[in-house]
Amino acid sequence: MSEWLQHAIAHADSIQDGFADQRAVSLALLKDTKWPSRKTEAWKYTPLRAVERSSAVVKEESPELAPVDVVGLDFLELTFVDGQLVSMPEDLPEGLTIEMQESDLFTTIKPERHIFGLVNDVLAADVAVVTVAENVKIDSVLRINNLLSNGAQGHIRVVVELEAGAALKVVENAEAHGATLTTAYTEFLIGVEAHLEHYRFALQAGDNVALGGSHFKLLGKATLNSSIIGFGSDLQRIDTDIIYAGEKAEAKLNAIYLLDGTELFDLHANVEHAVPNCTTEENIRGIAGDRSRAVFNGRIHIHRDAQKTLAELNNRNLLLSDKAEINTKPELEIYADDVRCAHGATIAEIDKKALYYLQTRGVSRSQAQLMLSFGFINELIDQMPTAALAEWVRPIIRDRFAQMEVK
Amino acid sequence: MTEQIDKALAREYEAGFVSAVESETFEPGLDEDVIRRISEVKGEPEWMLEWRLKAFRVWQEMEEPDWAHLSYPKIDLQSVSYYSAPKSMKDKPKSLDEVDPELLRTYEKLGIPLVEQQMLAGIAVDAVFDSVSVVTTFREKLEEAGVIFCPISEAVHKYPDLIKKYIGSVVPTKDNYFAALNCAVFTDGSFVYIPKGTRCPMELSTYFRINEQNTGQFERTLIIADEGSHVSYLEGCTAPQRDENQLHAAVVELVALDNAEIKYSTVQNWYPGDEDGKGGIYNFVTKRGICHTNAKISWTQVETGSAVTWKYPSCVLKGDNSIGEFYSVALTRGRQQADTGTKMIHIGKNTKSTIISKGISAGKSNNSYRGLVRMNPGAEGARNFTQCDSLLIGDQCGAHTFPYVESRNPSAIVEHEATTSKVSDDQMFLCRQRGVDPEKAVSMIVNGFCKEVFKELPMEFAVEAGKLLEISLEGSVG
Repeated sequence: MSEWLQHAIAHADSIQDGFADQRAVSLALLKDTKWPSRKTEAWKYTPLRAVERSSAVVKEESPELAPVDVVGLDFLELTFVDGQLVSMPEDLPEGLTIEMQESDLFTTIKPERHIFGLVNDVLAADVAVVTVAENVKIDSVLRINNLLSNGAQGHIRVVVELEAGAALKVVENAEAHGATLTTAYTEFLIGVEAHLEHYRFALQAGDNVALGGSHFKLLGKATLNSSIIGFGSDLQRIDTDIIYAGEKAEAKLNAIYLLDGTELFDLHANVEHAVPNCTTEENIRGIAGDRSRAVFNGRIHIHRDAQKTLAELNNRNLLLSDKAEINTKPELEIYADDVRCAHGATIAEIDKKALYYLQTRGVSRSQAQLMLSFGFINELIDQMPTAALAEWVRPIIRDRFAQMEVK
Repeated sequence: MTEQIDKALAREYEAGFVSAVESETFEPGLDEDVIRRISEVKGEPEWMLEWRLKAFRVWQEMEEPDWAHLSYPKIDLQSVSYYSAPKSMKDKPKSLDEVDPELLRTYEKLGIPLVEQQMLAGIAVDAVFDSVSVVTTFREKLEEAGVIFCPISEAVHKYPDLIKKYIGSVVPTKDNYFAALNCAVFTDGSFVYIPKGTRCPMELSTYFRINEQNTGQFERTLIIADEGSHVSYLEGCTAPQRDENQLHAAVVELVALDNAEIKYSTVQNWYPGDEDGKGGIYNFVTKRGICHTNAKISWTQVETGSAVTWKYPSCVLKGDNSIGEFYSVALTRGRQQADTGTKMIHIGKNTKSTIISKGISAGKSNNSYRGLVRMNPGAEGARNFTQCDSLLIGDQCGAHTFPYVESRNPSAIVEHEATTSKVSDDQMFLCRQRGVDPEKAVSMIVNGFCKEVFKELPMEFAVEAGKLLEISLEGSVG
């Protein structure tokens, strides 16, 4: 067992609150879980050295931090600093409730045995539960902020439940100020005919370690539109699970990763088609420059009864440097025959002919590179349903890309 | 429809008979003594025995891999006999006339043309029965061209320099659990050497047959194509119908030196077990080729047999401009399980690889494609194209795809695509409307699905493969 995990377990043992019983269950599982190595399939390309080296600690007192402004949007803010819930929106629209949970919380949407999910189980101190009442459609955007001060560890857990016919927009926003470590898990239960618009921004580049996931369970005719945008860091790992529990549900997942320096970004997307007649569309686009490493694993599992499933996954990558590395593994596991499933993955550099064409038209080489690569991910940004968020994130991505060196 | 599937699954395994050949078989069990005895029976030189023992010690430290999408009871390697030879082989026959007629009849039943048909077909055959090579035909004609085609046990004596240089050079002894086991206990197999600038005058072929009960077959094939040479090699396999599982753990090594080309085709039809999954061959095979500058290795496989298949014919594209190809049709039915695919390791500049994999699952079977494409930092301008298609027949089977794609060179281009579908009602309707009966229609659709792979097979094999598929699919759709 790693030293880091031993410390985490020791710390968890010292926490006393209403979650004690469930914490004990997760602790037992955690103690039974092997620390991942290169031979652990889910961590094959993602070494955990950064976790073991991290000196971030759980702080008693934290400085005041405020999340970044987004022009044109007035969020309902749910803010955690260093893992402690520091602010909740005051005037909640009717039908929306946010409560601190004191006990009986751990749900089962998140995979039971994921090692950092278990770490989160035993270390998350403040757990928030968001509920949208039946048929209530919330116009404003709820933003869950996970802010970390230098040297801090923070473990946050949020559960969002949309009752039948409800609608909600949620942004998960992580900001790290310095060398930090976080595990952040959010679980979404999307009720019958409910709709969730979801964003996860992991733009905290630098020497931080971020582990976490967004896990969705969809009931009948529920719909999900999710966008994940990530920069790498010392270690950035996001797990997402889309689990269909009712028929005729639909999910769309778009993800973008843009890596520079020695950054590492790892996205594991798992889709469980457990019932018939559901539809999944996944578009994953990545760019890796300098000495960075991108990892993508996209699994689509179609259970025996999940007839008439439509599932598509498309993963396209641009490799900008000969020191960078892209590892991708789109997986299909299919046990039903009347389904249409496809996945595709490509890794290449910028199209030389397109580059040449633009140069012959008087566009400078670097400008042409920017246009071509940025166009590649801009397509997905354009698909974000809330325009103000797209307008906010587009220049951030463009600026980062402009700074990256293209070989 | 289910009824018809059941009917199809109940079909007889045509190669399932047992030959009444008297055999000399080792007691089951595996230790250093068994290895010494194998080596002694083969009259091997000391260095070969040392090599085996070294591999055995490596193997003892290894664990059986469990990452494949397969489930089978743990194999008790101590209950397997590691050597079995027909008694009549004791005084090795000098020519076909001296071979035990029962053995020849066996091959005749299997449709392996050892004598006359072979004259017409023009294929040189090395037939391996349990642990020994029975007969190699057309040797004189091959010798004229300078081609060496003989049992590997013979090559150890006659061409020790070539063996010493190349054995274990592509698949090292410690490569994996089953390869290490094979290194320790391999009994026979084929050896091919094509001299510089020679185009092998005929297709070479090996036929493997497991006959004895409770035996494992551990053959080893080594093919060396010297600079600028060309060879096409075919491999076929069958086994009797038995209730116990039998182990087949082979190693195939291909070496394509500069500008050489090797085409390796397999039609694998080991006994798949009965419809309840009883019996059948465990097929754990390591096949790998290394391509030097401008060389090309092409693997084509049609996999219809075996209870469990664990097989990844691979290419190490070491030399600049070298080419690797993998064309595969894997059909599983009953309770068969297949986890098969390829690895393409791009090391040299401008290396190219193509992977076309067609998986067909029927009955209660599971069929997985598992592949790796790796672009190393030096693989400037390398290119890969992968296409994996799966066809499901019936709602009790599974089709899976596990591709690993790793790139470390920006100028390399990797493309992977996979689709899954079933024989569509529209296709069936169209065929039946035109008066084609359902069985024929399925066979046509499946043949069309596999066409890209079949066209890569040498003609004789393409016919056999098509027929095999047709029989396997009989009545599987209504």
